[in-house]
Amino acid sequence: MPLYEVGLILSPDLDGEERDGFIGELRALLGTQGATIVKEDVWGKRNLAYEIRHRREGFYLFWQFEAPGSAITALEYRLRLSDQVLRFLTINLDQELRRKRKFDVLRAERKARPKPTAETGARIPGGEA
Amino acid sequence: MPKKKFYVKRKKVCKFTAEGIEYIDYKDLDLLRQFVPVSGKILPRRVSGTNPIYQRKLTRAVKRARIMALLPYVGE
Repeated sequence: MPLYEVGLILSPDLDGEERDGFIGELRALLGTQGATIVKEDVWGKRNLAYEIRHRREGFYLFWQFEAPGSAITALEYRLRLSDQVLRFLTINLDQELRRKRKFDVLRAERKARPKPTAETGARIPGGEA
Repeated sequence: MPKKKFYVKRKKVCKFTAEGIEYIDYKDLDLLRQFVPVSGKILPRRVSGTNPIYQRKLTRAVKRARIMALLPYVGE
């Protein structure tokens, strides 16, 4: 299952209880769709760089989760219907991190390979070559 | 003798190559702001010295940040 990151901007008009309720609802939705949340990042209220629907601030929330693609469809459908969500953005982190992971592997291999001149080959544990 | 109008040319370095940043997160505002002046425009490569690969990634990140109202589309 791919790793996704979704960012939400919720309306600042909601009071804490309503917001928690809505967030809980989304979490339950993700759960039923077979998603496991890896990381949650709550920024809370902060000023927007520009007005969205005449609001100057928004409640920021980010989730990283592993889920099948169908979960994204369901989640985005729900977010689009809601009046409480000012903006959302989903990113496929697997796609984004592909290059980084590739280079991490290459770098590890290069480190594991013993240099022909110096005797610094066995620095990385588990690196045989 | 007339004053020479020379200036020291500073070597431009790609921050992402130098620091080994491979994924540019759109939430990392401290990083993005270094490449976005108050005008809201993305600094060109000829100014910032960023490598092409990272310039494209940077552009993507800045545009995402704009969508999420973390950076302005139009600055001052």
